[in-house]
Amino acid sequence: MSDTRRMLAEMADPLFAELGPNASEERDLSRLEELGLPLLLVSEAEGGFGGDWLDALTVFRLSGYHALGIDLPALVIQRAEGVDRELAMAFARSCQIAGALDAALALSVGYVNERQQFGRPLGRFQAVQQSLATFACEAAAANCAAMGAAQALDRGAADFEIAAAKLRANRAVEVGTAIAHQVHGAIGFTQEYSLQHLTRRLWQWRSEHGNDAYWSAKLGSRVIARGADNFWPDLTARTD
Amino acid sequence: MQTFVTETVDWPDTAPALREQVRTLVAEHGESDPVRRANSWTKADPAFSRKLGEAGLLGMTWPKEYGGHQRSQLERYVVIEELLAAGAPVGAHWIADRQSAPLLLRLGNEELKRRWVPAIARGEAYACIGLSEPGSGSDLASVRTSARRDGDEWVIDGQKVWTTGAHVSHFMIALVRSEEGSERQAGLSQFVIPMDAPGVSVQPIVDLTGAHEFNEVFFEDVRLPASALLGVESEGWKQATAELSLERSGPERYLSSMVLFLELVRYAGAKDDPALAQLVGRLAAEAWTLRLMSASVAAKLARGEDPALEATIVKDLGNSYEQAIPQLVQAAVDFGDAEAEVLHAVCFYLLQVSPSFSLRGGTREIIKGIIARGLGLR
Repeated sequence: MSDTRRMLAEMADPLFAELGPNASEERDLSRLEELGLPLLLVSEAEGGFGGDWLDALTVFRLSGYHALGIDLPALVIQRAEGVDRELAMAFARSCQIAGALDAALALSVGYVNERQQFGRPLGRFQAVQQSLATFACEAAAANCAAMGAAQALDRGAADFEIAAAKLRANRAVEVGTAIAHQVHGAIGFTQEYSLQHLTRRLWQWRSEHGNDAYWSAKLGSRVIARGADNFWPDLTARTD
Repeated sequence: MQTFVTETVDWPDTAPALREQVRTLVAEHGESDPVRRANSWTKADPAFSRKLGEAGLLGMTWPKEYGGHQRSQLERYVVIEELLAAGAPVGAHWIADRQSAPLLLRLGNEELKRRWVPAIARGEAYACIGLSEPGSGSDLASVRTSARRDGDEWVIDGQKVWTTGAHVSHFMIALVRSEEGSERQAGLSQFVIPMDAPGVSVQPIVDLTGAHEFNEVFFEDVRLPASALLGVESEGWKQATAELSLERSGPERYLSSMVLFLELVRYAGAKDDPALAQLVGRLAAEAWTLRLMSASVAAKLARGEDPALEATIVKDLGNSYEQAIPQLVQAAVDFGDAEAEVLHAVCFYLLQVSPSFSLRGGTREIIKGIIARGLGLR
């Protein structure tokens, strides 16, 4: 991670944690503006932060991690010049999903290590361990996919990668939210407990800016049109 | 919490040229039967391995003095992902090139290195791994095959099982109990055992497809010189498990069914079926993601880190993907359709062999246990 990006994360993380799910644009937008976050993708020459897409990934992911009540990615993308907004929003939701899945995983691991049943923490039961391992894999995949899409955006055309990243993130939502709730038991199903801020947003983000059917059809038609013999060469040419 | 710290991969500038070299070589000398191209890293073709050796595509990262080519880890990664994506028959040399020679270079004495490593780089010497025993599968620390000292020599007695490629291999690196009466992880050592040593015998085990890939290997009073000990006596457990984390994240953990995916793309091209297009899209997205993950681990390995947790995550997701492809293709395609003949053949082969994908290199349950430990649950 570059120094600017680390600095950006160190600024955004505590602020998003403080504002949290109940943040509102009306009350809290100025706090985000103080850090220059809505102008993240505006060039420095035009008074913005001059960030790239990997910077955007860092901020969007953290806004998902803390289930930030303000749709900061939408504000950032509104202000950015020369971007395909629909595609950029699909990328943003992928990043938010990646962050929220990591947060839900951390919450779940913390909970099962604390909650005692049958005289030991839930996390000592192999069935619970294996479920959370599955969740960890899905969260990892969503995070890697978001990273891959950010890198592609920084290189140029990224429609393939964004389609793939959003689709992969969407699929991870299904597995991750189910396991997070299962290991939490009834408490996770309450308004009081914080898991719902993450999972309810995850379900919303899965639908927004392209559900699974939308992106898989789009990606599939494209791959089929290019033909079987071009799939692998195309895939490697994207990163070489 | 982030279990998989993703990092950007700096693909080498030489990647496009290397890919061209591999693609040309595979087109000329590879396997044309799509069924044989599936799960191709278990398909032994010594002639193809020698071609790779001649082309400088084996032992890519090893020192020149041992027949290597001193190229980077990521250059090697480019070559192996190309070979696997094309379904090239790399089974003969796969284990030797991936882990046996690197282990010899890291821990072996001069005699062992000189004897085996240059021949592996030429594609002429092949290796197998002696871990499992009849009473010792996932519980690897229960191995009973023994090595006892007799003067200057070691004498090996016992049995290994499920040994992939033992019948085409020239040597085995075996984990055995070298300290009588020792328990579990203590008292184990690794030995390099030539497969033609007197007292070594190999019995085939035929798998459910009728193929002969793995074997039982018996050791009866096999006498080895002192130099056959690999690394440090009684450090075998640590040495062998370090080797495991290297083998779990490679592209062979997600590409075993790639040929079936490509046949699906070909078939879907003739059908104009939205359901097939969606399936192709879903599987393409997963391939793209897994490639990123696997390469990201390779980049960490190249920097000398040990991303053991990330490697197990890649293996678990990758194996699930390789196993899902034949299941999903079967569910989506009518094999009564004459145009689906190739798809049908490849799919049925993979349906039968794919249970092994989440067994080899550590079962899914063991792998998930390692991930759970990484999460702080054990």
